Amino acid sequence: MSEQQKFERGTSLSIFVSDRREDIGALIFALIIAVGVVLIIGR
Amino acid sequence: MIYTKKSPALLIIGVIMLLWGWLNASGSIDGVQKYLQKSAYSDHMKVKEKYDAELRVATEMATAEGKPAPDMKMPKSKFDGVKAQQAQLAYIFGGIAAVLGLLIMVWTPKEGSLDYYLSIFPGMAYILLIAFIVRWGLDPTFANWGKDAKDTLGFDFAHIFNLNYVVLGIVIGIVIVNVFKIPAWAANGVRTARFFLKTGVILLGTLYSATELAQLGGLSVVMIGIFVLGSVWVVLIMGKRMQAGNSMTAVLSAGMGVCGVSATVAASPVVNAKAGEIAYTIGTILVWGVGCMFLFPTVGHLLNMGPVQFGAWAGTGILNSAQVAGAALAFEPNGIETLKVAEIFNITRVLFLPIIVLWLAAWYVKHEQGAEKVDLGKVLLAKFPLFVLGFILLFILSTLGAFTPAGHYQGKYFSSDKIKEESLLKGKETRALEGELARLKDAAGAKTLQEHFTAKAINVGQRHATPDDAYKAMQDLVANKKMISREQDELLKAVAKMGGFDAVAKSAIEKADKAAWHSSKAIAAFRDWLAWLFAFGLIGLGMQITMAALKQAGGKPLIIGGVVGTAKAVGSLIVVLLFVKEFI
Repeated sequence: MSEQQKFERGTSLSIFVSDRREDIGALIFALIIAVGVVLIIGR
Repeated sequence: MIYTKKSPALLIIGVIMLLWGWLNASGSIDGVQKYLQKSAYSDHMKVKEKYDAELRVATEMATAEGKPAPDMKMPKSKFDGVKAQQAQLAYIFGGIAAVLGLLIMVWTPKEGSLDYYLSIFPGMAYILLIAFIVRWGLDPTFANWGKDAKDTLGFDFAHIFNLNYVVLGIVIGIVIVNVFKIPAWAANGVRTARFFLKTGVILLGTLYSATELAQLGGLSVVMIGIFVLGSVWVVLIMGKRMQAGNSMTAVLSAGMGVCGVSATVAASPVVNAKAGEIAYTIGTILVWGVGCMFLFPTVGHLLNMGPVQFGAWAGTGILNSAQVAGAALAFEPNGIETLKVAEIFNITRVLFLPIIVLWLAAWYVKHEQGAEKVDLGKVLLAKFPLFVLGFILLFILSTLGAFTPAGHYQGKYFSSDKIKEESLLKGKETRALEGELARLKDAAGAKTLQEHFTAKAINVGQRHATPDDAYKAMQDLVANKKMISREQDELLKAVAKMGGFDAVAKSAIEKADKAAWHSSKAIAAFRDWLAWLFAFGLIGLGMQITMAALKQAGGKPLIIGGVVGTAKAVGSLIVVLLFVKEFI
């Protein structure tokens, strides 16, 4: 079974259907961490 | 297709993590931690000695005055902090893993998003468990072995060969995927590695100050400009001479010149690259990049490079974003300075992507008969790596003071009055500095100082340091009881490393340096997050380096890639050693 066939969604390198979605997901997660740090630890 | 595998693995991983948390919190494994965390334990003993002495004095005074013994608590040491952090992380992630592990055991998955996203957690927990073992167990063990063997071998093998959590994590990942295979229950979660690496790169934007970016931005544009455009040009010429085919040559030039896989994917529709050619290019980049990731840090240590020099070299010479991060962290695993410099170069390189795609489109149309013109704007809009813009967005937000108060970056405290009273130098320390100042001002002292500056090539700004600079810096330190500028701080740290320098004066300089360079709590938290995101991402990256992928490289692309990659690595190393100074 090839790597591509092993997963119906995403690729063998990513759970996301496209690089663009992965980038947007990473940006949202980074913003959540940043805001979380500011809210919990303070500036 | 059902992704969630009914396996107790996640539950077991959760229980192991919870157990580790409890063992740390209860102090049951203090003996093991004493060995692993030697430096933190030595700090703990100092704090304890000081506390015992203070308690004894306070008790004696209370007894003499007929009062009850004072109720004093021992302050927290670094050792306590390390154990508390391990317990906290193990409890949080162990708890989540145990709950989700139970859910997987009792729930019958149905095809859909819930099944898909739930199936990610066992693999993530698997990588995280390896990250815990590597960061908390193997990294300090190898560091101890390296130091213990230093007298016998004459060098610290763990430091020279970068046997830290970054390299060990990647190697363990490679061994797992190629020798043992990734368990079926973990396969889906391993694919999250790149996502967390990208998150790390974006979050890195919160740690830059505008000053650093201004200092490095110009240098990175010049270096990347020369080496990126140069690599693309050389690959195009070599590909034509070796008759590698126009689309193969064009896609390889983007991969070797700009940023590895992203550039290859972005350039492929413009030059009508076939799937096989893309695979060849990615295989070549992977072979080259994996080699560089292990070799660059060792060369950096052997050449005694600093964070700025190594970061500039790795960011220019290594092709892939993840491998740049891996090499930078392998070089400096317990700090973030090298990674910051390397990523500036890496981001600058990715920003060259539109220029390269335009160039390749023009080159391809000119050389390929019957080539159709493609909509370059559409290709760029669809393929440009958005995480680079995310990094820039977070940098802008942090510059505007969204995450920390404006100016709350390292180095801020030189010109402010916000250094705490207890961090200012005391009388004993300023007297020791005055004594050293007098000694260094006599003829023999001045000669030694000048020789030290010449031997170590120490600069003040863009010129060579002189003894007068050191005298002025020491006088200012004595007068202000703190460092007043970054230049003086760097200079005095170099002076303190001279043989025969008074121990109290040296410790005074170290104290003043620490007071000036302390970070805000938010910055420290961002650094912690980054270390874990990169550790996780790089272990997962190792798990994706399969022999099958490496075998995709070969033939003419590998020869061209090898020649151009070596030329770029050696060329950028020479330029860095000749022209890049440690100035931040």
